[in-house]
Amino acid sequence: MISSLNNRILKLFTITFALLLVANTQLAAQASEDFFHSIGKIYVVVAVIVITFIGICAYLFYLDRKITELEKKIK
Amino acid sequence: MYFSQCFGNHETIYMIRQYWWKILGVFLFTYVLIVGLLTPLKPGIYSVSHLTTSVGTTLPLDVQSYNTHYTKANKLRAWLKIDSIHILEASNIVVQSDNQLLVTLDIPAFLPNEQLTQAATLIIDNDYEGHSILPAAIFISKSKDTTNVALGHTLWSMSEMNNITHTKGFKFPYQNILNETSRNLFFHVAIWFAMFTLLIIALVYSIKYLMSSEMRYDIYASSLTSVAITFGIVGMLTGSFWAKYTWGQFWINDVKLNMSAVALLIYFAYWILRSSMKDQDQRAKVSAVYSVFAFAALIPLVFVIPRLTDSMHPGNGGNPAFSKDDLDNTMRFVFYPAIIGLILIGLWISSLSIRYEIIKETYYLRKAKKRTI
Repeated sequence: MISSLNNRILKLFTITFALLLVANTQLAAQASEDFFHSIGKIYVVVAVIVITFIGICAYLFYLDRKITELEKKIK
Repeated sequence: MYFSQCFGNHETIYMIRQYWWKILGVFLFTYVLIVGLLTPLKPGIYSVSHLTTSVGTTLPLDVQSYNTHYTKANKLRAWLKIDSIHILEASNIVVQSDNQLLVTLDIPAFLPNEQLTQAATLIIDNDYEGHSILPAAIFISKSKDTTNVALGHTLWSMSEMNNITHTKGFKFPYQNILNETSRNLFFHVAIWFAMFTLLIIALVYSIKYLMSSEMRYDIYASSLTSVAITFGIVGMLTGSFWAKYTWGQFWINDVKLNMSAVALLIYFAYWILRSSMKDQDQRAKVSAVYSVFAFAALIPLVFVIPRLTDSMHPGNGGNPAFSKDDLDNTMRFVFYPAIIGLILIGLWISSLSIRYEIIKETYYLRKAKKRTI
């Protein structure tokens, strides 16, 4: 009996907490723009540099794999 | 010994094995990363509270600015400017924080022309760090019956704008909407420039192959083109990401974007063409010819057609490129090294691919020779 009451209170608490959390994030999103718009959109520049770097590294990985296969063949 | 029999001790092979230009490329790109990211922007106006107003009203304009320290300024002035002779000085400026001002403007009852709506530029000058300009900040409207051009001209010519403070130090220009993303000039634009240079070099080797049928020219051309296509993909992705946060969408229905995508697809077909042929000489010949045609298509697609019509992309019909006030000498200082650095890095990566192909050729030739010996 007591434990089922505790369960109910716990459920009510969890639901309220979750709702408040969702409401808070939505409120915050309305008040400020998202991450990439903050600080004059500097993170867009960061993302562009990361894309450039990963793109170049992707080609280097491809080259590396080709060389590894050739080394195996020669061995 | 066998290596030089197949490919000769050529000037190109000698250059490929040098380290100095590779280190130079890395150094230049590191310089671009550091200076390009750490240099601050000039002060700018981020947004204003009112987009429209009407004649004969007192406008309490709330101004949000970027990279400013208004609390440290001694002398603050603000103007609304219609053209070089029609300027209105603000009657009062209240500093609310380092980045916020309350500018009170008494809009005169008449406009100095017969238009129903007039766009006015907002200029704010502070002696601590310089001036900032927001073009077409406010649209002033009037009703049809309140027209008195002569009186409007008098009322709008009463203020003067002189002794504008210029920003001291090495700073990049501030641009509306773009803000800090103007630094993408050093990455997105430089990558396309580097791609284009690599394709020109690849074209030269393709033509050399067609004239002499020496396999090494085909190896050089295909490696350079591969790296150039990779740069093109990176350029597309970076441009798309940049567009999402400035134009609002990852892709827009725009001439320059569509034509660049077509050009890149034509070069994708170059990859597919090469991989579809087994016979080396046939593959080399066909891809050399295709390479010439692809480059001949690239020029009008990417450079000529977008300039003939309107485009959102800077540098094409109706849309000035980063020029004059946008790309002043401070940005050029980082932009040109970025192009050279990326070209050298692209050449380094393609040199690795060339060396791989040469080793593969040498290995298979040696294997074939061993059977006959």
